[in-house]
Amino acid sequence: MDVKLNVVYVPSEGVVARVIEDELIIVPLIAGIGDADDELYTMNETGKAIWLSLDGIKTLKDIAVDLSDKFNASPSIIEQDVIGLIEELTSRKMVVSLS
Amino acid sequence: MPGISFAGLIEEVLEKKVPFRFTASGLSMSPFIRDGDVITIAPSSSYDLKRGDVVAFINPSTNLLTVHRILLFSKSGYLIKGDNTSKPDGQVLASDIIGQVVRVEHSGRNMRFGLGVERNAIAFLSHRGWLTPNIWKVWRVIKPFAEKWIINKRRSIL
Repeated sequence: MDVKLNVVYVPSEGVVARVIEDELIIVPLIAGIGDADDELYTMNETGKAIWLSLDGIKTLKDIAVDLSDKFNASPSIIEQDVIGLIEELTSRKMVVSLS
Repeated sequence: MPGISFAGLIEEVLEKKVPFRFTASGLSMSPFIRDGDVITIAPSSSYDLKRGDVVAFINPSTNLLTVHRILLFSKSGYLIKGDNTSKPDGQVLASDIIGQVVRVEHSGRNMRFGLGVERNAIAFLSHRGWLTPNIWKVWRVIKPFAEKWIINKRRSIL
């Protein structure tokens, strides 16, 4: 599935995510179980910032603009990071598009 | 992870009516749950909890996520204690119990002993202080002899 910058994405119902001690912890609810032993994800600062920006209102483009300001980085590089992460999360059914 | 934060994560998963599986640490429930065993917590209803059930809760005295056994329950709450501890955790309210242990995996194998019908007897012994760490030390010493005796007994029967 192609990820588009003008689309809004949100965490799927099949995950539980929490920031614990400044670290984003994501537990997918796979096969009817939240498995923190075999299937637990954490993200780096960029990934965490992207995930926490998935508020159901901002498009990926909006998120990339915000983050390029925050991290003082090139918007095109941030857009690539955003698309890459959302592609990965979409393939794992951890995020879904609202469109 | 800090007890309260991890407990919050577990609660959020359980609120979706989904069990939560993770690695336990500590010796307080040995030998039924050993350090490194993988346990599965399922949502529990306070009406379903019985003496002998192993539950997850935030220990009010330590603020840590704790997995221990119910010894008895009353109007003031549940008296909970680790199988391998000398003192109970105290009275725990039903609202503080996050979930119930429904599965224990040791080295990839499903371990039922301690969660079945014997759990009532374990709670009984633990409540009276007869299930002390010393008993387990004694058991570890006599276990090889007991197993050998059982094997010999089986051979003589065959």
